[in-house]
Formats: sequence, structure tokens, C-alpha cells
Amino acid sequence: MTELHSSGDVPRLHLRTSVNGKPVVREIEPRLLLLDFLRDDLGLKGAKRSCDVQVCGTCTVLLDGLPVSACTTLAYEAMDRQLLTIEGLSADGELHPLQAAFIDHSALQCGFCTPGMILAAKSLLDEQPNPTRADMQAYFKGNLCRCTGYYYILDAVAEAAETLAGRARG
Amino acid sequence: MLRPFEILQPESLDSACAYLSEYGSDAAVYAGGTELLLLMKEGLVHYPRLVDLKRLPKLSEIALDDQRIHIGALATHRAIERSPIIVDNAPVLAHVESLVANVRVRAAGTIGGNLCFGEPHSDPATLLLAWGAELELVSSNGARVLPAEDFFLGLFETARQPHEILTRVSLSRLPEDSQAAYQKFSVHERPTATLAVVVAMSGSTIRHARLAAGSVGPRPVRLQQAEALLQGETASPALFHETGQMAAREVDPVDDLYGSAEYKRHLVAVLTARALEQAAARGLRREHRRD
Amino acid sequence: MASHTVSSGVVGQNVRRVDAHEKVTGQAQFTGDLALPGMLYGRVLRSPLPHARIRALRTEAAEALPGVVTVLTGDDLQDIDPYYGHALRDRPIVALDRVRFVGDHVAAVAAEDEQTAAAALGLIEVDYEELPSATTIEQALAEAAPEIHETGSLRLGLFHGLSNLVPEGNLCYQHGFSKGDTEAIRQQAELVVEGEYVFPSVYQYSMEPHTTLAAWQGDSAIVYSSCQHPYLVRAELADMFGLAVSKVRVIVPYLGGGFGSKSYTRMEPVTLALARKAGRPVRIANRVDESMVTSRRHNMRCWMRTYAAADGTLLAREVRLWLDTGAYADNGPRVVATAADAAPGPYRWQAYEINAYGVYTNRPPAGSYRAFGATHLMWIGESQVDEIARRAGIDRVEIRERNLLRPGEEVRPGGKPLDADLVGDIRKVADALEWGSARPDGVGRGLGVGLLAAGAHPVSSAIVRLEADGSVVLLVSTTELGQGARTVFSQIVAQELGVPIQRITVPGADTQSSPYDRSTGASRSTALAGTAVLLAAHDARDQILRAASRVLGVGQEHLELRDGMVGYGSGSLELAELFVRHFGLAGGEFIGRGVVGPEEGKGSYDEGPVFWEVCIGGAELEVDSETGRIKLRKLVSVADVGQAINPHLVKAQEMGATTQGLGNALYEEMLFEDGQLLNSTLLDYHIPTPQDLPDEFASIIVENEDGPGPYGAKGVGEGALAGVPAAIVNALADLGISAHELPLTPERVWRATEQRRERTPPEH
Repeated sequence: MTELHSSGDVPRLHLRTSVNGKPVVREIEPRLLLLDFLRDDLGLKGAKRSCDVQVCGTCTVLLDGLPVSACTTLAYEAMDRQLLTIEGLSADGELHPLQAAFIDHSALQCGFCTPGMILAAKSLLDEQPNPTRADMQAYFKGNLCRCTGYYYILDAVAEAAETLAGRARG
Repeated sequence: MLRPFEILQPESLDSACAYLSEYGSDAAVYAGGTELLLLMKEGLVHYPRLVDLKRLPKLSEIALDDQRIHIGALATHRAIERSPIIVDNAPVLAHVESLVANVRVRAAGTIGGNLCFGEPHSDPATLLLAWGAELELVSSNGARVLPAEDFFLGLFETARQPHEILTRVSLSRLPEDSQAAYQKFSVHERPTATLAVVVAMSGSTIRHARLAAGSVGPRPVRLQQAEALLQGETASPALFHETGQMAAREVDPVDDLYGSAEYKRHLVAVLTARALEQAAARGLRREHRRD
Repeated sequence: MASHTVSSGVVGQNVRRVDAHEKVTGQAQFTGDLALPGMLYGRVLRSPLPHARIRALRTEAAEALPGVVTVLTGDDLQDIDPYYGHALRDRPIVALDRVRFVGDHVAAVAAEDEQTAAAALGLIEVDYEELPSATTIEQALAEAAPEIHETGSLRLGLFHGLSNLVPEGNLCYQHGFSKGDTEAIRQQAELVVEGEYVFPSVYQYSMEPHTTLAAWQGDSAIVYSSCQHPYLVRAELADMFGLAVSKVRVIVPYLGGGFGSKSYTRMEPVTLALARKAGRPVRIANRVDESMVTSRRHNMRCWMRTYAAADGTLLAREVRLWLDTGAYADNGPRVVATAADAAPGPYRWQAYEINAYGVYTNRPPAGSYRAFGATHLMWIGESQVDEIARRAGIDRVEIRERNLLRPGEEVRPGGKPLDADLVGDIRKVADALEWGSARPDGVGRGLGVGLLAAGAHPVSSAIVRLEADGSVVLLVSTTELGQGARTVFSQIVAQELGVPIQRITVPGADTQSSPYDRSTGASRSTALAGTAVLLAAHDARDQILRAASRVLGVGQEHLELRDGMVGYGSGSLELAELFVRHFGLAGGEFIGRGVVGPEEGKGSYDEGPVFWEVCIGGAELEVDSETGRIKLRKLVSVADVGQAINPHLVKAQEMGATTQGLGNALYEEMLFEDGQLLNSTLLDYHIPTPQDLPDEFASIIVENEDGPGPYGAKGVGEGALAGVPAAIVNALADLGISAHELPLTPERVWRATEQRRERTPPEH
């Protein structure tokens, strides 16, 4: 039985991924967590570490459009896949309707849960353009906020849904 | 903090099995990682080698073959929840999958990972036990199929040997006369009590039933005495209440932070009655739609 | 939503948060997002035992691990004063000779990366000699209980602000007061309600765990920290490390929540000491399980007895309460005093006797959490008032209308009289609950009212700098925890200087540049720091108008500031132009200064409080009696704020406080066994999710302009939390279910329903 003591024993992985629409190539340790890859290697600090057990959602990022807990996902999983972080949501300088709605409704207070919450909302609206309040409450069960009590967040998501639907209608 | 490990990426089931045979307890099967990585981060377990099964696409397929539903072990909870095959042919399973943890865990976590972890609070495990699902295990030595009730052995303990891979879960489409129902009661992230029933009825007579209780013991268990009580009886609130009382006597919970043993027993009684009512009501609605 | 380009009448409008853009784009910086060149990662080795002597500590193996730069132990602290603590300086930076709770600091490691630091912890060898421990209040007060501190030799904290802080044995603090003749009333009162109650330990759970980054620059210290009170931390660090206060700089970026868990000194000393030994900057980021043993809400046992006349007139109340302050006093004594203050409730008593005790135990230290004291006591006192009402056959709102204090009446001896219309407030709650209307079987209604001593010590200051292009920098050391202080203060400046809000920058707390503000907590920021901001804006305005008067040759009384200009009659002068004409170049500044201090006396707790924060809540609920699960149909909160400078943000505070309150009432409890915390992750500690919200929530703002702050404002943000458990307990009691222990988990409610008394026919 071999025991790997130091990271020097393990070959690095050649990671090829796309982050906010831009190609990224890095040599990484297999054990590197996606959250640390984003925050420390790429300097994308929007995703946060809080509970570290996949319950709170402050580390939410979108992997091929699906929300994942970056705190408990290996960076390895991003291989040949698309990552979207909060920094990528307004890449061309224009705020995403969700961001605009969050500002409009002051749907945030301390802001620590906000990037994860907005990305979770994005993935909800991508798959369900017209969610009910109950749909939202169920979807955001894993995106905790200790400051707001959620009401303005739900209002903001509803407003963004309308904005996006309006755009879709053209 | 994660200690160093290597990730192996087999391209075939054979080579995946070969890795497990070679490395034994030094290797862990890795799919969604939602349970495994959590334990490894906590330092509770460590595996120098992870065998990533996600390059084996067949392992995530969901198929309907006549009356049999086959779910690849690598199907995510989200995929099962949304699969038209599951929604149309086993809607209660789709519902149960939608109750697992939260959207992120469902996006990455797999049914195989969930079942093999042997978590006593597993939602799918409770339902699949009542349903009578079968699990296929493959290794370099061949394949075997186990009924769910032979798979869950104890706390975090399943019949899967370290060199085996769970490849698929199979269950039968419920016949016309059968209904499933699921009840879940949670205070924390993991439920305090889960209760699944599959009931076959003729009119208002219960021909037979399968009941399973989860979360209140080290593994989900069939409630065979409760099942016996229902056999051939006329559905009624009184019957369901009595069955619940019997079910409560069949489980052996302990006090923990999910609840006291007494309360858990009580919940089993309540959830049993409610699940049976739910199944019976579904059966009646179905009957009325037919008329 | 209101536009924010209008510069007049900004106060009272729902101006969008000035920090919202940064936060929705992920650009807002929290302490854990910062790094300094050469930064190391620190981790703390924590005690596995509740009470033990350290016989030996060997760090060689840890120090030898590649990547480890240094290991800090008690030996490294001999040239400084290693003790800190807000009320009592009872806590060393790391253990000197013994550990007092599971999680106590034993040593600390600084390494090149997080994983190496974590690995190094496992290589530190410690020989513990386990000592008898007292991990509950009962054990700590028992005869021959192990002594947790040599209390005779404890020094007082720098800013404790309490009278009679004389710890004895495991009794950290006691506070009591009385009035009238309780004994006489005891003899003749016709109605008596008595009970014993248990309140859990609760974790504040701010989403951001405690994080500190510390560095030395020569003999100066610079500390970035997720701390609520940078000036108090700065003074304490200076005192400990033997530095002039002017050589210690504390900077607070955005805080990911605080709620009291980040009040006073936390991880700063160990981080700074580690940086000192390492010779490089060090960042320590607590994991959640570490933060849970860094601060928590006091758990409590309480005995209360209420006496009344047969007609429902409240006569007297006796209370004895014990708060478990854990192994270190932290803010415990203040919590004890505030709990004592909250115990009588806002009623006209003939007599009361209140005795409150803070007890040391071998558990993690307990400190501030939103609405402390009031949250502890309101549900108890209000449930006894409801019971009196039932026995007297009186409506539960009516009994309060009869007995509540009116504005101007004494709340406690020597303190500030009542400054709120409580009767008006509860009538609004009653209306929102449709009190008096028929309701379905199985639905219970309840409400509760109380007071919280708010404001803390009233010293705050602010500086307004009007720049040559008409933009403004506002320097104020209120920390932005999420409550929206930067936005509210910007509104005040915009209003007073006639400058658009987008042209105001509030850089946040940095003791090097933003002036003294005692603390951010106790609902004090709008009332106190806000007043300093108002005064600073007025000072700047006066200077501007004087200059404009000279430049324009017009009397000041004809001038006003509006829309970024000085207006006079139908004419106006751009501010930028004023600068050129006054200073002779497009430069210079008008610097306005505002300072708030105690109005009379010393501003001490006994003389205060600055204002009484109204704690009030209403609830309507149903119970699934088979499982005990409570279904909240409706929650109501009333924010009695004097003047709502930003009504939307006031409601936001109410929503957040109410949601924390329902967590405290229904779900949250820290479970200990022999001092070991059993549920140290969110897997086993449930904080409210969007699915836990009531079906309906109503937030009512009351503006009577009766506060000491700008425009008659008071503070807000805590009262609603305290109101929720009281309202829920009383709504349950309306259904005949009696509660003596929180949280009201389904199992507790189920057990209580088994003992449900005969429900009296509803009169409403």
C-alpha cells in the first residue's frame, strides 16, 4: 500500500477550462478544490467560503450552467467545461437583469451570499423562466442568507424574470 | 483539508474494475463526490487514488425496457428528477429525487454514490427498498444482482465490496393497481424520519403492501409486520392508524440530535398512516379517472 | 423605486444602497479577499478538552514541516500583556498554563499555505492534565465546583462601563435592582404565575466567519479584520502590545454579517502575535466550527413570578436568571445587565425584584448577539402576562393597554424614561393580526412587547470633506455589516449639503483616517454616528455658506445649498466655482467635523440608555399536532423608529431580524455534551431557509419623531428579533400549548401538546 505524503508524489493535472468565456489553462494538483482555484489561482474572489459542507451556497458557481458547490467540487471537474462566476455575469460592463434587480430592490445587505444567490437565480430562470414564489423558495433552499430574510431577494428574482421574459419576446 | 491523491480515469468498465482490484482499499470510486469529498475534507477518510467513473457514459443512462426501468448508477439526482422516463413511469421516484439535499447536490450527486454511501437518512434508499429495486454490482470477477433489502446492511455499510462497482438500479414500473407514496420529516438537513410505501389495491381492498422506514435506524428497513397487517384488509383511516402503530413497534431508533427514540417511533407511526392515505387516495383518483 | 439624482428630500426616501453595485458584481472586498505581499496563512490549535492544565507543549515537529514559518505558543508572549477581554481581561492570546473550553487557543501556526498550516496543527504535541470541569450553570455554581479563573486576580477590561464588576468564584457578574415592596404584594396578590424556563445557546452565524489579516510595519501594527468595533480593538491591541494607539491601525472592509459575533476583540490578538513572530503578514480565516466557539449567544435558566390583581392589574414581578457566559467573560456582564433590564417588561409595576447572574463555565465564550437580554426575557415575561390575562378573563391586548408604560414614565430607576408609544405600537400589531376577528379552529394568535436598552456608550464622530469638484468624502467609523450605514449616512449628507448621492464616497472604517466611533451595535449607528454625520455636514455647510457669502457679497441668510450649488434668490453658484473663487485654485477642501458625546453625566449605562428600542412582534400560527410542526401563517413586526431615513432599508432590517428571530424560536440550539459542541456545522444546526418563511409577513413602520438621532430618528434592527419568540410562544399558548424551553422544535411542541390544557373559549 503506497501512502502519498506530499503533493510532490502526485502528478499534476493539465486543466483546460473556460472561465467566464475565456480559455484558462493551468497545471493543478488533483486535490485542488474549485473554490480555491477560482479565488487563489484566478483571483476571482466573488465566490466565498462559509459553511464548507454544501449547505449554504455562498460558493455557488455555474458549471455548464448548473449550480455546484465550489467548496466541495474539484477544479478537475471543470475540464473542458464552462464555468460562470459572478464576475462573468456582467462581462461587457452591462449588468445582468438579476444584478440590476438586486440593486433595485436592495435585495442584499452584507453581500456575502449575494454572488452565489444571483448565480443560483440565474440557473433557476434559465430552466424555469416564470417560477412561482414557491418554486423560488424550493430552489433557493440551499442558498442561505442570514441578513435579509429573503423577501427582497424573491422580489428581485421575480422582477428579473419579467425583464428577461420581455427580452425574450423581443 | 484534502491530502494529496491521484485521479484515475478509466475509459471502460473493465479497466475501472481492474483499478479497484489492483488498489483495493487504497482506491475509492468517485462520481459526484458530494459525500466522498466531504469526508475527505474533514480528514475522516483518505484515499490516495480516486477512480473517476464519469467517462463511462453508459453508466448514466436511464432506460425503459418493457416494464423495467434501468437507471445507470451515475445518473445524477437532477437527471432522474427530470427524466421523462422516470416522470412518466415512476413519478414518485422523480419526486423523491427532487427532495434530496439541495439543487447543487442534486446537480452533481449520483444515485449510485448516494446508495453506496449507506447513509441511513438517504431518501432514494428508503423508497427503493419499499419498491423492491435491484442493484447490479460489477467487478473483475463478474456481475451480481442484489435486491435492495440485501444491499443495505448497516450504518454506512452496504453489500458492495471494495472492488465492486454499482452500475445500475433497476425497478419495475408499478402495475396499474399499485401506488407509491413517500413521506419525509426533517428538522435538520438530513431527515429525522422517512417512510415509503408501495400499495396494490383492488377497489378499497389492499392486496399487498411494501413499507420501508428510513433515517430512524442504521439502515432503511422493511416493516414486515405492518405489511402483514394490511394484507387483504379494507383501506380505512383506522387501519392505517393501526398499521402505523405496528410500524412504530418494528423500528428500533436511538436518541440523537435528530430526535429522541420515542419521538422517532411516533413519527414512524404518523408517517406510515399518512403515506398509506396518500397512496390510497392516489389509487382512488386513478380509479375515478378510469370510470 | 426612488430616483437618486434628486438631492433634496433624500431623507425618508427609498434610496438604493450605495454598496449594491459592488456587492452584486462580486467586487466588494471582505477581509478574506485581501492579501499582503509575503502573506502567510495561520491556523489555531484548539483544545480538545474543556478544562486542562498544559504540562508540556512541543512544537519541533510542526516547525520542521516544510512550509511552516513559525509556531506561536504562550512562551512568545512574555514581553507583552497577553490578556484581553471586554469586561474582564481574563483571556490570554493563547494558553499560558491551561485551557478552559473545547476550542480554546493552545498555539498557532503560520505557514506558506493553508494546507500546510492545517497539517502542522497535527504535529504539535501537547501533554494535557485534565482537570475537573464545570460545563453547565449548575455544575459551575455547585459547591466545590472547579474554579475556572482565579477571579480574585482578574483585571477589569478597558471599556466595560459597568458598575460593581467584581467576579467571585465562577460568578462572573451579578446585577440586580428592585423597587417597592414585593413581599407585601406576595401576601395579597390574587393572581400569581410562576415558572422556570430554559433558553438555548444560539450561534449568530454570519455568513462570513471571523477573518483577520495582520502585519507589522516597523513598530506599527496594521490589522484588517472582520470586526464591528475597530476603535475598541485598536485600543486593546495597543494596550496589549505596548504600543501607542496612534501606531495601531485597524481597517474594516465589508463585513459578511456580524450580529454581535464580531463585537469586541476576537481573532486579532493571535493573528497579530503570529505576524510578529513570523516577521510576515498573517491571515487567519476561521472555519465555521471555529467561529462557533469564538462567540455565541448565552444560554440561560430563568425563574420568574408575576403577581397581579384579579382585575388584571399587574402588581409585581420577581426574576432570577442565570446566563452561561462560557470560559471567558467577553461581553457577558453587559448581557447580564441588559437581561436584568429587560426582565420587568415595559409595565407599570408597584414592585419588582430582579437578580441576574453571569456564570463562568467550561464552554466556549458567549457574547453579543442581536437583541441580547430582550430576546432572552421577553418570551418569558410576556407569556406570564398572557397567562394573567387568561386567568383574569381579559383580552390579551387590553391587559397590555392597561398596564403598559406611557412615554415619560420611568422604566428603571435612574435611567431614561420611556420614549416610545408602546400602546400605539401594540394596537398596530393587533390590527395587523386582525385581533378580535374570528379565526379557524386550531389557529393561535399572540403578540409580545418589550424594551431593549439601545445605544451603548454615546461617543461618535464624523468628518465631511467637500472636494473642489463638489464631491464629498464622508469619514465615519461605523462598520458596514450589511445594515446599510453607508447608504443612510450618504442620505444625510446629500440632504444637508444638497449634493447628489452618487457624488458622496464613504470609504469605511479605517482608524488611520475615519474618526472615533465607539462601536457598531446596540442599534446605535443612525442615532449616534448619524448625528455626528449630521453635525459634520452642518459644520461643512456653515463653512461653505460663509465662504459663499464673502465671495458673492450676499448675506448667509439668503443662501442655501441645493443640487450641487449655492443658491441665492434666482441665481446660483456652482460649488466648483466657489472653490476657485475662495481658494484661488480648483483645490482645497471644506472640512466639517461632528462629534457626539454624552449629553449629561458620563454617558454610562446606568444613566441611559440613549433610547429604548421597541421590541414587538405578532404571530398567527397552526400546529400539526401529530408531529408538533408549527406552521407560521403570519408574522408582524413594528419598527418604532422615530423617523425612517430609508424606509426600505428599515423594512429590510425588520425582515432579517424577524427571520433570525424565528430561527431562534423554532430551530436553533447549540448542543453541548461535557463542554463539547455536538452540532458544529450547518448539517446539524439549522438556520432559516426561504422555505421556513411565514405565509405572510407584515412590517409596519411607526414614525413619531421621538428619537434622539437625526430628524428624530432612533435605531432599528434588534427589536423585531426579540419580538418573534414572544409572539410565537403566546400564539402557542393561545392554543393551550405551554412553552418553557426554546427552541420550539417539533418534538418539544409535540410533547407539550400531550400536556395541553383545556383551551379557554376565545374572547376574541
